[in-house]
Amino acid sequence: MPHTQENIRNFCIIAHIDHGKSTLADRLLEVTGVMAQRDMTEQVLDSMELERERGITIKSKAVRLPYTAKDGKTYEYNLIDTPGHVDFTYEVSRALAACEGVILVVDASQGIEAQTLANVYMALDHNLEILPVINKIDLPSAQPEVVKQEIEDEIGLDTTDCPLISAKQGIGIEEVLEMVATHIPPPQGDPDAPLQALIFDSYYDNYRGAISSVRIKNGRVRVGDHIRMMAGGREFDVTEVGTYRPGSYAPCECLNAGEVGYIAASIKDIADIRVGDTITHADAPAAEPLPGYKPVLPMVYCGIYPADGADYETLKDALERLRLNDASLSYEPETSVALGYGFRCGFLGLLHMEIIQQRLEREFDLDLVTTAPSVVYNVIKTDGTKMSIDDPTNLPPMTEIDYMEEPFVDAQVITPADYVGAVMDICQDKRGTFRDMKYIEGGRVLLNYDLPLNEVIFDFFDQLKSRTRGYASFDYELKGYVRSDLVRLDMLLNGEMCDALSIIVHKDRAYARGRSIAEKLREVIPRQLFEIPIQAAIGGKVIARETVKALRKDVLAKCYGGDITRKKKLLEKQKEGKKRMRQVGSVEVPSEAFMAVLKMD
Amino acid sequence: MKDCSVYIHISFCARKCAYCDFVSFADAAHQIDEYLAALETEMQTACRSYGGIKASTLFVGGGTPSILETEQLARLFSSIRTFISLDECREFTVECNPGTLTPEKLAVLREYGVNRLSLGVQTFDDRLLRVLGRIHTSREAADTISLAHDMGFHNISVDLMHSLPDQSLDDLQASLETAVSLPIRHLSCYSLIVEEHTPMAVMHARQPQRFPSEDDSLSMQRLCTATLARHGFERYEISNYAQPGFESLHNFTYWRRGDYLGLGLAAHSLMNGERFSNTESLDDYLNGLRRNEVQTLTDDDVYEETVMLGLRTREGVRADILPPKALSRLVRQGLMTVRDGRARVTEDGADVLNAIILELI
Repeated sequence: MPHTQENIRNFCIIAHIDHGKSTLADRLLEVTGVMAQRDMTEQVLDSMELERERGITIKSKAVRLPYTAKDGKTYEYNLIDTPGHVDFTYEVSRALAACEGVILVVDASQGIEAQTLANVYMALDHNLEILPVINKIDLPSAQPEVVKQEIEDEIGLDTTDCPLISAKQGIGIEEVLEMVATHIPPPQGDPDAPLQALIFDSYYDNYRGAISSVRIKNGRVRVGDHIRMMAGGREFDVTEVGTYRPGSYAPCECLNAGEVGYIAASIKDIADIRVGDTITHADAPAAEPLPGYKPVLPMVYCGIYPADGADYETLKDALERLRLNDASLSYEPETSVALGYGFRCGFLGLLHMEIIQQRLEREFDLDLVTTAPSVVYNVIKTDGTKMSIDDPTNLPPMTEIDYMEEPFVDAQVITPADYVGAVMDICQDKRGTFRDMKYIEGGRVLLNYDLPLNEVIFDFFDQLKSRTRGYASFDYELKGYVRSDLVRLDMLLNGEMCDALSIIVHKDRAYARGRSIAEKLREVIPRQLFEIPIQAAIGGKVIARETVKALRKDVLAKCYGGDITRKKKLLEKQKEGKKRMRQVGSVEVPSEAFMAVLKMD
Repeated sequence: MKDCSVYIHISFCARKCAYCDFVSFADAAHQIDEYLAALETEMQTACRSYGGIKASTLFVGGGTPSILETEQLARLFSSIRTFISLDECREFTVECNPGTLTPEKLAVLREYGVNRLSLGVQTFDDRLLRVLGRIHTSREAADTISLAHDMGFHNISVDLMHSLPDQSLDDLQASLETAVSLPIRHLSCYSLIVEEHTPMAVMHARQPQRFPSEDDSLSMQRLCTATLARHGFERYEISNYAQPGFESLHNFTYWRRGDYLGLGLAAHSLMNGERFSNTESLDDYLNGLRRNEVQTLTDDDVYEETVMLGLRTREGVRADILPPKALSRLVRQGLMTVRDGRARVTEDGADVLNAIILELI
């Protein structure tokens, strides 16, 4: 039987965080009968514990839904779930590339948010059909008509047929399903052309090895086919192909042009599957890979060390395990004088970093010491060579540096008008360059700034949240590198440099930053048997100094009746506390000190 | 026959003091006789299992041993004599509280060979005595000491506390002066420790400003050392001061890790390389369920204890057992000295003894 693409619909749901994307996905699964209601836990597609807890989607997934429409035809819907956060923008863009259309979910009371716009632009970039849907109409604060107008004005979409739904209450779901059939175009692939399968996700399965989630653009792929990764270059034999059911696989003989599914090929290392890459046949390759592939480059780096040096191997295994499912996590061993053996880890962004840290601590029960995050700097040396630096300690001596460049982001902040002043203060304070300001619906303002990424990773979120009482939302996108006057700020404890505390900072900020870090360290470093000078220095020059006074009293008064257990217990407790300290020269430094450089008042 | 120091615990008090979290019971006087019987049984058992016990020093502490009635004291001492040899006992101390001692009780103590009294005075300031929840006045304390001295007790020790709520350096100075004007040979002076779940802890939580700062507390310990030195009392242990020749032999057993057998409720022992303690439940103890936990000491334990206890004393510890690098660093920092092969803490070092110990273990 010839395969027909006429009944296939491939689509994503896009939305700002918390506008109800996952809930709508759950309803679609439920209504199409893929999953009976009793089997459903909330937000089926978000299977990772952390995802559910934080209400965000970290990894994208796909599921096939059979749907019989009012026209009597049975359609094959492929719903591709996308991560909702800016850190995973590239993954979103690959998921979109696998679709012909998107459902745009907009909260009926919140209206358009920063992420809504970013996603819409991305969908338009991919030339996708956009179906706006207004969700949460059951809320008392819902203003569907206002939001509709907003969508027309801001995005220029026709909202005449726009479904008004409540995913939570199950209102309007049929309407959404129907519109997918009528409004989203079917795929237009050539089943007889050479194979081109777009990898939009990858993950590790204990039985099948590393698996590619793919959209077959052209051609077809069967079990036994010899395939090649066009960018990666490696070749494999296909062991299984199939489509997705919620939480399970549905193996089949062949995936055809237009279809969405998975390919397993006994691939041991997930790094061999690169999201965005094109799979083709090794013996009859496509002339060109699909467009848009770019290697995922980490934006933020930090050192991760076990709090107890004995846990190094556990940490290593844990990182290996996490990377099996997350090719965008990179790490390599590093040694710090202060922290011992650990890893330099690269992340897509701050949220990604936070998620990995939390997963390490939760899923592997690890106690970690993390160093201040750093971005990647370009260093142009006097001899004309160029190097990238993600670890301040690797910075060459200033005499060898001609100049340096730092990454800037294009930042969008949406805030209620009352807080515009505060937000502008923060952005100014973070060395931002004002670009644009626009009043949008609901008495809100969209501010556009160019910001150095190294300021963004340094308590920007916290400040933004606290100074706008949580109302502002923030989104950013890497813009490029800009020449900048940067210096390395070192911290000296009792005259000895502590490598794990060094940061790269703009020259104008160095004094203030040095002072506040020194103050913070004075607060967190406990008194010891001698006075400890804390110094902040640039090059050889000390720019700030604090002192931890010597311990004066630490003695247990009296032993009663030969009961030395109290003394022993106290000593044991102190010993434990000491074990958790890091030795920097002669000074004992508690783990939290290494994060102190992050949190400023 | 086992040679060792012996500690006997009498876990009864007239009233629980505001700072006390030791195993002692007020309002349990009706159980004293039963307790003495249980104690006698324990002595008998111990005597049998060690093939006899010869006490080099004996300390009866509490609680308040002097709360026992005259007859009960006599009964306790006669039990002791029955099961424990005092032939070579060089120091026989009973802990007493002013206000519970009578001439009759003192006579019984004399009769049974008690040669040292340790009096829990804590302060000679009546206001502070009330804050501590003590049952006696400063006057009663002084009278008790004079009475005991008159009755032939010429080795009397007094406990004093400092860093009490609202206490000033002058208050402490006055207490110290009063103490040394009395016929005493030995003093234990230590700072109040606010223990959890005591009335003092409640006060500390509610009125922290009434308690001296760390620096004030330090000044107080230094005031004790200086004042007592002027009156011929030398600091021979972190919180103990004595005229020459009147250092507590019993306490030295603890510091030197000599063998000692603890009898009675919650009493602790170190015998033949094992530490063990008795139950803290009075009911269990009265029912003959005594032993609580036993800990066999490893080499590391022995080393840690040696350092922890030895450095409390003027004797110090053998310098060659300590890690040389850490030791020389501490010497450079003026916190320790090494002389005649023994390492000791300096006066500055004594203030931060715990931190020093942590450097050495």
